Amino acid sequence: MNTHQIANIAVKAGELLLKSGAEIYRVEDTITRICRSYGLECETFVLPTGIFISASNALKHEIVSYTKRIRARTVNLQIIEMVNTFSRNLENKVLSYEEAASELGRIQSLLVYKNWQRLLASSIASFCFTLLIRGSVYDGIAAFASGMLIFFLREFMGRAGMFMFFDYFLSGTAAGMFAFLVRGFVPSLDLYKIVIGSIMMLLPGVAITNSIKDALYGDLVASVARFGEALLMVSALGAGVGFGITLLLELT
Amino acid sequence: MIEYLLAFFGSFFAAILFNVSKKNLLWAGFSGMAGWIAYDCFFSQTGNTAMATFAGAIAVGVFSEFMARKIKVPATIFSVSGIFPIVPGISAYNTVQAIVENNLAIAGAKAVETITGAGALAFGIMTVTAVFRVFSKKNKLFWHASK
Repeated sequence: MNTHQIANIAVKAGELLLKSGAEIYRVEDTITRICRSYGLECETFVLPTGIFISASNALKHEIVSYTKRIRARTVNLQIIEMVNTFSRNLENKVLSYEEAASELGRIQSLLVYKNWQRLLASSIASFCFTLLIRGSVYDGIAAFASGMLIFFLREFMGRAGMFMFFDYFLSGTAAGMFAFLVRGFVPSLDLYKIVIGSIMMLLPGVAITNSIKDALYGDLVASVARFGEALLMVSALGAGVGFGITLLLELT
Repeated sequence: MIEYLLAFFGSFFAAILFNVSKKNLLWAGFSGMAGWIAYDCFFSQTGNTAMATFAGAIAVGVFSEFMARKIKVPATIFSVSGIFPIVPGISAYNTVQAIVENNLAIAGAKAVETITGAGALAFGIMTVTAVFRVFSKKNKLFWHASK
């Protein structure tokens, strides 16, 4: 395997991690570790929006550098787990380029849950969180339906390829409008508990936690960027909810 | 008691949305339950959200690090799912809601509450990570420590 191919594998693994919501130190560590298991020296700089690596073989005959731009980030813990195992196994047993590439491809295309399972999970989680913030069972049932609606909406928008924060805005609007309409029929429901329960899954808990973890590991640029991302997500969500509720209030 | 079950299922189903593999789902649920129990105990004793969140985060962190060592996966899997019940989502939401309603004094108070909660959460998990790293046998990097 030549230097280019090794760097390629390392960047691919880093890209998978970063796209799945791993912390910066984890991405940098994995890239360095993969390069090291093939006997390369490597220096890497990772931001939430891109990966830069520069690797050289021991005699410095050949130096390659890669830049990989990362655009979309989600949370997929299964991929983090599998890339972790992959890079750990490389230290013990070196794979060929084709083997490593196909293994990474397999990790990337792995689907753990079917869509109906994720739909149900989203709804039940909304139900649980509504009850957890002391909503009544009826609030919970409304949140269940709202969670289902938001899941469908996000699936649809994911396929249509909306921009990053606009889907949060629309999800918030949908949650606000839905809760408002349901309360119109059943006045005893608590509007805000339904809304909070059903958008709990969209709150950027991972982004905020990663942001502070990055700061503590010294990745200051990434930390500030992630904090901004979290702030934008929350603002989009909140503005959406406010917009939805206000709109219906004015109309009625 | 029923709240502990709700926290369990909340984390369990949140973990499905985050694509946690099937063999780890149950532990992700227990992680959320551990966090909520600690949060609940502290909150009913002190009435301080930040302290309660910190305690919850410590519980989630300790649970995650133990499980990571036991079944050899990254601790993040359990900590990300486990913090869900104690994420300061409600105050974050309230902040923006107050801004939308032009209630800036309340918005400021809620914003500080959110940042405190998020900080308490992250520092709780960081504390645990750091302590576990110091006492791990290899004592090299966090990653190796979960071997």
